[in-house]
Amino acid sequence: MRYRSQSVAYWYFAVAMLLFGLQLAFGMLSAIKYLGPDPLINVLPFDKTKVIHTNLLIVWVLTGFMGATYWLVPEESRGELHSTRLAYVQLGLWVAMGLGAVVSYLFGWGTGNKLLEQPLPCKLAIVACMLIFLYNVGMTIRKAGRFTTTEAVLLLGIGSAAVLYLPALIHYHNYTVAIFYRWWTIHLWVEGVWEMIQGSFLAYLLIRLSGADREVMEKWLYVIVGLVFIAGILGTAHHYYWVGVPSYWLGIGSVFSALEPVALLAMAIYAYNAMRRSGLAHPNVLALHWTLGSAIFTLFGAGLLGLAHTMPSVNKWTHGTLITAMHGHAAFYGAYVMIVLAMISYTLPEISRERSERGSSIGYWAFWLQVTGMFGMTLSFAAAGIGQVYLERILGLGYLDTQLKIQVHFLMLIATATMFVVGAGLFIWDFFRRAPNFQLSETSETDAPAIGLRTAPEPAPLR
Amino acid sequence: MNKRQTRLFAVGSTALAALVFLGLTIDSHRQFGTLTHAENITPEVSRGQDVWHAKNCINCHTLFGEGAYYAPDLTKITTLRGTPYLTAFLHEPAKFYSEEKHRRLMPNPNLSDVQIADVIAFLDWVSKVDNQGWPPRPILVAGTSIPGMDLSAAQQAHGARGNDGIGAQPAAGSKDPIALGQGYFGSVSPPCSACHSIAPNVNLAGPSLAGLATRVETLLKSSDYKGSATDVVSYIKESIEKPNIYVVPGSMYSANGQSFMPNTFAKVLTSEQIDDIAAFLATLK
Repeated sequence: MRYRSQSVAYWYFAVAMLLFGLQLAFGMLSAIKYLGPDPLINVLPFDKTKVIHTNLLIVWVLTGFMGATYWLVPEESRGELHSTRLAYVQLGLWVAMGLGAVVSYLFGWGTGNKLLEQPLPCKLAIVACMLIFLYNVGMTIRKAGRFTTTEAVLLLGIGSAAVLYLPALIHYHNYTVAIFYRWWTIHLWVEGVWEMIQGSFLAYLLIRLSGADREVMEKWLYVIVGLVFIAGILGTAHHYYWVGVPSYWLGIGSVFSALEPVALLAMAIYAYNAMRRSGLAHPNVLALHWTLGSAIFTLFGAGLLGLAHTMPSVNKWTHGTLITAMHGHAAFYGAYVMIVLAMISYTLPEISRERSERGSSIGYWAFWLQVTGMFGMTLSFAAAGIGQVYLERILGLGYLDTQLKIQVHFLMLIATATMFVVGAGLFIWDFFRRAPNFQLSETSETDAPAIGLRTAPEPAPLR
Repeated sequence: MNKRQTRLFAVGSTALAALVFLGLTIDSHRQFGTLTHAENITPEVSRGQDVWHAKNCINCHTLFGEGAYYAPDLTKITTLRGTPYLTAFLHEPAKFYSEEKHRRLMPNPNLSDVQIADVIAFLDWVSKVDNQGWPPRPILVAGTSIPGMDLSAAQQAHGARGNDGIGAQPAAGSKDPIALGQGYFGSVSPPCSACHSIAPNVNLAGPSLAGLATRVETLLKSSDYKGSATDVVSYIKESIEKPNIYVVPGSMYSANGQSFMPNTFAKVLTSEQIDDIAAFLATLK
C-alpha cells in the first residue's frame, strides 16, 4: 500500500466478501428447491430466495468494483483520496441499502420488476452512492492532476453505469416498454460499462503483474472498449427477442450479439500476450491466476455460451429455459466475480498482516475449487437446459413433467455448487483470517512511467 | 496503430453505435402502440400488472420468456386455459397440482376476486402482444402431445398404453375422420392434449378421457344428464362446443356450474374438425 487512503478498499472488500457468502447461501437454497418438495414454501418460497440471490450478486460485485477503484485511483493518480470520510459514508449508505433491500424482499416489498426489484428508497440510495463515488474519485484525480487512460476508461464506465440506472427509476404503463428500458440498465451495465470497468481493472493488473508497457496496454484497452461498445450497445437487441418490439431487433441482435465474443476474445488474447511477452515476473502468482482466469472464463461463459443461443432461429426454442441460467452463471462469474477476486488477491498481501505475496495454498484451493465447481454448475445447467428444450419446447411435454424428467441434473447442480461454495468459503476465510494492516510500503513504483501531467508532488514516504 | 488512433476508434465506434441505437429506440416508440395494442391497456390491465409486480411473479415464472425458470411461462396462458379455470386455480393452486407428485407447487398468492380478475386481464393483454409468434409451439404447463409420455411410469412398465399414437399426424392423404381427429387432438389451438390425457387416471388440468365413450353411455342412461345429446358423438360435440351445458359434478374442473374448459372451440374450429375430434374420442372405450 503506497497511499494511506487506499485502506478504505479493505473495508469495501470485507463487505463484498460477507455479501458474497450471503449470496451463495441463498443460491444454494434456491437450487435445493429445484429438487422439492420445499418445506419452506410458505415461509421462504423460491421467488424470495432467487431475488435475494441475484440482487446480492449485483450489490457485492459493485461493492468490489468500488473498493478496487478506491485502491486503484490513488496509485494511478499518485495522490491520496479526496476524502476517506466520504468513502466511508458511501460504504455505510451502500450497506444499509443492500441489507434494506434484502429485508424488504423477505417481507415481499420489492417492486417485482426483474433485476430492478429494489424498493424506491433503495434505488435513490443507489443513485446517491454513485454520485458520492463519482465526486470523490473525480476530485481525487483533479487534485492529483494525473489522469491515466486506465482511469479514464474506469471513470467513464462508472459514470455511465450511474446514468444508465436512471431509466430504472421510472414506472412504465406498458409492460413491453418497461422491458425495453430494463435492458438499458441491466444489459448496458453488464455487457457495456461493466466490461469497460473489467477491462480497466484487467489493464491495471496486467501492467502491474506482468510489467507490460503501459503505452501498449492502454492502446489495446481503447481497442477493446471500441469493440465492447460496437457489439454491446446494439447487442442489447438480443434482449428484445419475442417481447413485443419491432422485428428488426431480431436481425440486429443476431449480427451484433455474434460480435460480442470478438471483444471478449480480444480481451483474452490481450491478457495472454501481456503475460507471454513479459513472463510471469510478478511474485503474486495467485492474483495472476485470477486475472487470466477471468479473461478466459469470460470468453467461455459470456462469449461462447452466449453465442450458443443468440441466433433468433435457435433462441426461439431456448428462450426462457435453463439455457439462460447456464449462460448467466458462467458469464457473471467469469467477467465480474473473478475480476473482483483478482483485485482482492492482488491487494491482499499489501493490506493484511503476515501474508506471503505468492498467495497461500488455501488461496489456490479456493481458486481451483471455485473454477471447477462453476464449470460443473454450468454443465449441469446446460444438460438440464438442453433436456428442457427438447422435451418441453420441441416435443411438447408439459413444463412440470419435463422438470421431473431432468431432476438428475439438479442433483449434479447441487453437487457441483457445493464444490463451488467450499471454494468460495475458503476464499472468504482466507480473506478474514489475517488482521488488516495499513502500513505504508516503500516499494518503488514498478509501473512504467505514464504519460500525462504530473503536477502533484509524490507524497513523502512515511516511516 | 498508435494510441491516438485507437482512442479515435473507441470514441468513434461507441458514438456511432449509440447513435444507431437511439435512432432505433425512437422508431420502436413509434411502433410500440400498434405492436402491443396499447389501446387495450385498460385500468383493469394496469391494475393486473401491479398485482403481477406486487406478488413478485416474475421471480418464479417467465413472461415473454423473461423471468426465473422455476415455474411455467405464462405468455400465452390465457389461450391455453379459460378464465374460470385460472380464477379457480389462483384461489387455491394446491387444489390443482400436488407438491408430492410434481415436486413443486405455487404458494397461494392470497389474491382477492378483483385482483384475480385484474391479473387475468393483464395476462390476456400479454397473450395478444405481437411478439413475432413466440413461442413457436405452445408451452404446456403439464400434459403432453407425445405418444405414451403422459403415462405414469407404472403404466408404461405394464404396457397399459391406452391408445397409441396421440399427437401423431394422420398418414398423408388419410381421410379417415378418426385419424384426422387424433391429429387435431394434439394440434388445434389450444390443443386438447394440453389439458386432457387419454391414459387412464392421468388427470391434468382437465380429466383423463380414457374410457370416455363408456362413461358417456352410462351418463346418458342416468337421470343426471340434462343436455340435449342423444348419443356419445353428439354428447362429445356438445361438450366441445358448449362446455357449460352439462358439467360433470366435482370441484376440480368446474366452479359455480362453469366448466374450466375454454368455450372458444365452437369459433376456432370448423364443424368438420369437431366432427373428426368427436369421432376419435368416441373410440376411447
